[in-house]
Amino acid sequence: MRILIVDDESLNRFLLQHMLEDEGYKDCIEAKDGEEALKLAEKHKPDLVLLDVMMPGISGFEVAPILKKLYKGSYLPIIFITALDDRESLIKCLEVGGDDFVSKPFDKLILAAKIRAHARTRLLSKKVDKQNQELLGFQRKVDREHTIVEHIFSNAIVNNESVVKFFDFKVSPAATFNGDLFLCEASPGGGLYYLVGDFTGHGLASAIGALPVTRSFQAMAVKGLSIGEMAFTLNSMLLQLLPPDMFFAAVIVEVDVSGKRLTIWNGGMPQMLLKSKEGELIRKFLSKHMALGILDESEFDSECEVFDTEHGDQLFACTDGLMEITNKDGKMLDEEGVEKWYFASPHVTAEHLYQQARAYLGEAEPHDDMTIAIYRSTPLHDLKENIQISATPFEISLKLSSEALKNEQALESIMNMINSQQGLNWIRSDLFTVLTEMFNNSLEHGLLHLDSRVKRSPEGFITYYEQREKRLSALENGFIHITLIYSPAQKMLTIVMKDSGAGFDIEKVNNPDLTSSSGRGVLLMRELCETIEYSEGGTKATATMKV
Amino acid sequence: MAIKANWENANKALIIKMDEKFDYSKVQEFRHVYTELSEPPKEIRIDLADTQYMDSSALGMLLNMQKHFCDKDKTVNYKIINSRPQVARILKISRFDKKFDIS
Repeated sequence: MRILIVDDESLNRFLLQHMLEDEGYKDCIEAKDGEEALKLAEKHKPDLVLLDVMMPGISGFEVAPILKKLYKGSYLPIIFITALDDRESLIKCLEVGGDDFVSKPFDKLILAAKIRAHARTRLLSKKVDKQNQELLGFQRKVDREHTIVEHIFSNAIVNNESVVKFFDFKVSPAATFNGDLFLCEASPGGGLYYLVGDFTGHGLASAIGALPVTRSFQAMAVKGLSIGEMAFTLNSMLLQLLPPDMFFAAVIVEVDVSGKRLTIWNGGMPQMLLKSKEGELIRKFLSKHMALGILDESEFDSECEVFDTEHGDQLFACTDGLMEITNKDGKMLDEEGVEKWYFASPHVTAEHLYQQARAYLGEAEPHDDMTIAIYRSTPLHDLKENIQISATPFEISLKLSSEALKNEQALESIMNMINSQQGLNWIRSDLFTVLTEMFNNSLEHGLLHLDSRVKRSPEGFITYYEQREKRLSALENGFIHITLIYSPAQKMLTIVMKDSGAGFDIEKVNNPDLTSSSGRGVLLMRELCETIEYSEGGTKATATMKV
Repeated sequence: MAIKANWENANKALIIKMDEKFDYSKVQEFRHVYTELSEPPKEIRIDLADTQYMDSSALGMLLNMQKHFCDKDKTVNYKIINSRPQVARILKISRFDKKFDIS
């Protein structure tokens, strides 16, 4: 506790200092006039000032307001020690910024008591000051961290522009960070996927889950997974990631290339509404599942609804933030309210609904994030053309020995390699069929000497595959050599399959009997490939596919 | 189990749901679903919502299923539902739309 004594008479200063020392205040500084007082105050930052009023130069009445200004926010007690005792002067002491006064000659006990009282307030003020500084520092740190996180979010959660244009949507977070999520991505099949979801709560804590969901949604979309598998995978991931009281309600939708086939999984979200061009309700898609991140894998139900709609029909989805807004009378909008708004006319935009929601809220701010997404059914053929095809040519060559053929992983590995190439996964379904046909042809006939004629009866069909299994596990010699060559210039994938078998009569294959099981495979390959050729006595097949 | 079978419409319709791959590796399992039935269904629906990959043995399996009930003189209505465009194309190339109601 540092005390500044300001008095032009040295005797007074001496008396005051003595008294203060007796009271235990050892840290005292003295100033003989106003000017010195200001200088010392700035330099030594006293905690309390005992101030004389009448001094040569600047008077105590002038010094007090300057001192107070010097200390800005925090409390500096100033006690006037004055010979004046008229009411006006005493009132002025307090008006110019003084906190108390003592008349000269001063009463030691009263002055000491007053100093103690003001010291307490000063201490309190210092403490508050310190806390304010800490809070300010903390605030700055949080702000900085939020800026970083915002940056990450805005870079990580980005929807594909060529896909996003098919949607009319509005995303409105209640706080800086959004616990709602709207994602869309093209499907390798030519259609698109989208997801509208809502994490429990709002703000940063609920937004954090959006990152892994976005990443895995995008990865799964590129692979062309089904909606059921997407829901299952997201559920397993969130179950492991989220605390038990947190989960993610979501609708996941796949639209096929025609724009008409809707496949929908709704877990814990408000009903989706399908509206005709004329503005009539076609169908509601209610939540049939629990939200993601709750159920164990064994309990999880990935069942979807599939619906064929017409071009121009609109599928509406929103998060519960919209339903749960309340007006000034405390009435909640509810599912019925949203439905009424949406079916007010054939064309109700997301922005219009949002403005309507703001008007409904009146002065109040929404308590939760709000998201509205409307998909209007349109053919999606353009989407495919926007996807870049990998410009890197490559050649993959695998020579599978009898041991490698037994574990039957080869085709899966090839599919994974091809799927990882941008644009090539578009043809993955066709490629799988072609590759499997060629591979099985080499394996079953070339290496295992199986006879397709066995397959003609249902029992024979089973026998055939039982024999396949038996002979494969007994296989000791032989190989199948698979080569895939991708040419970005020609947009062509060439598949060469060479086996160590005895081959077959090429003529026969060129005129297949389409009623037999084996003939179907040949027909399929002809349709799916640009060209297909057999050579080297039937031990080598070369197919080309357009990418 | 990679194949899920469920009954609908008071045990009149059997729904067989395939997973990602409908190929030769499913031969035994697929046959098992319909050969073990005590009562033949009025309708069988093959749900291909999850199926991305198919080969010609899948076509054989479907035909064998028809043959199985045909040999027993049972009239069963066959449907293939929820097929994805690429899979639907394979079924169409193979003229399966003549024998199955494909959607």
